[in-house]
Amino acid sequence: MSHFTRRSFLKVAGITGAATFTGIGCAPGDSQASNGAHVVVVGGGSGGATAAKYLKQFSPNLRVTLIEPNATYYTCYGSNWVLSGFASMDDIAQTYDSLRNNHGIEVVADRVTAVDAENRRVHLQGGDRVDYDRLIMSPGIDFNYDSVEGIDESDAEAIPHAWKAGDQTRLLRDQLEDMPNGGVFVMVAPPNPFRCPPGPYERVSLIAHYFKQHKPRSKIIVLDAKDGFSKQGLFEEGWAQHYGEMIEWRAASEGGLVETVDVAEKTARADSGFERVKADVMNFIPRQRAGQIVRDAGLVNEEGWVPVNQQTFKTEADANIYVLGDASVAGAMPKSGHSANNQGKIVAAAVVRELADQEPLNPSSANTCYSLVTPDHGISVAAVYQYKDGAQSGVEGAGGVSPSGASEEFRAREAGYTQGWYNGITADIWG
Amino acid sequence: MNTRTYIAGIFSALVLTSAAPAVAADANDEITRGQLMAASCQACHNAAGANDGVTNLSTLSENLIASQMRAFRDGQRDGTIMDRHAKGYTDEEIDAMAAHFGNQ
Repeated sequence: MSHFTRRSFLKVAGITGAATFTGIGCAPGDSQASNGAHVVVVGGGSGGATAAKYLKQFSPNLRVTLIEPNATYYTCYGSNWVLSGFASMDDIAQTYDSLRNNHGIEVVADRVTAVDAENRRVHLQGGDRVDYDRLIMSPGIDFNYDSVEGIDESDAEAIPHAWKAGDQTRLLRDQLEDMPNGGVFVMVAPPNPFRCPPGPYERVSLIAHYFKQHKPRSKIIVLDAKDGFSKQGLFEEGWAQHYGEMIEWRAASEGGLVETVDVAEKTARADSGFERVKADVMNFIPRQRAGQIVRDAGLVNEEGWVPVNQQTFKTEADANIYVLGDASVAGAMPKSGHSANNQGKIVAAAVVRELADQEPLNPSSANTCYSLVTPDHGISVAAVYQYKDGAQSGVEGAGGVSPSGASEEFRAREAGYTQGWYNGITADIWG
Repeated sequence: MNTRTYIAGIFSALVLTSAAPAVAADANDEITRGQLMAASCQACHNAAGANDGVTNLSTLSENLIASQMRAFRDGQRDGTIMDRHAKGYTDEEIDAMAAHFGNQ
């Protein structure tokens, strides 16, 4: 089932001989311990930044380089608050200053363009090359527009995905602000698996919150590629409680599976054209796959995700490369920032122990995911994971979602913890 | 019942420990499973989450962390989410995680 290509490995092999080395090459490794070895981390999101920070915490003498092109990272979690209008882009902005200044991590503002696995080296867009003893990649997601006709990446200005936070978030917020009262907001929700399973449904909740205050005659329609979704009962309970009939969710099998989008008309068609839905503002969240760099490096399976040993997150394809976060196949762990954070720690421990010739640990980890139905109504899902029989599996009897029919006070407490979770996890990752 | 008030009541009497990272390793120490699991707790339970009522575990004693995790797990203490998390850990795991906070 896994199908690897070595195309890119061969492609870069020819050019390495002629290039010059930069000052950020590899220090000689110490065979006794991880001291002095060089670990390169690609991608400064939740997974990569956590891995870099915890490598240094677990092994302070390790050399750690984090390669990330953007100086500011906008978390996808929290971006629905911005769309709703009660948080700003600054509230979800993270930087690498503390990792650089307080944690001894060399942060390189560049983009990796190729992985030369045979020579344990990555090539950067700026022309530099960086040698590694171990490579950790956390590239996140990319989009695949192929399954729907009429729309592709070049349409993301007219019809934003807003599923990588930043300019796309601003763009969708601007379109929502410009929409007239009585307009129709249409979300096309993606098929599994995708980043942040409850995210689309929190998004329509918080857009409904904005409409209720400012554009109360407006309507929200979700056209879904699935027949069910994360925390569905809790979301539907909250929608009925706060938004009446404003949000209409259409399951894939009931006319929700979009086949064609007319970008100029902002119209989606489903059910062989029998269902035609016209939007004033459309949010098209495409099918997803692992980030470009791991696909170019030949690390993905036919579905576009990276198979790994789920005990350590070492790739099946290369013994010196680890891949974590949304890009990886991680068993029961969802593609979430919290999962990526936990995986970053698992990978950091695995790499440090491997460099010291120690056996891998059998890790236990967790996911905690809060969603807001309104700014004062929070709901959550929790799980504890353990590596078992070759996969990350949920520990039986643990985890689950918030109780249904809970009091207003309970929902308000979980809304408060939503902010606490954000402040805590972002400090743990970038602080 | 108000858990936040309850937490504040118990913990105000405790002495604060230093702000050092709760799961940092000595350069020559071998990373243990308990240390890695304690690192998982750190995602939420650090100083930055404390203003919104999330307990900062590095301010608590090992015994208190272990006893409260058992209370959440065994249904003796109400929670919003910790009851769901705590059910995923054995006594041994709870003690191993607590040891990494209380000793700092």
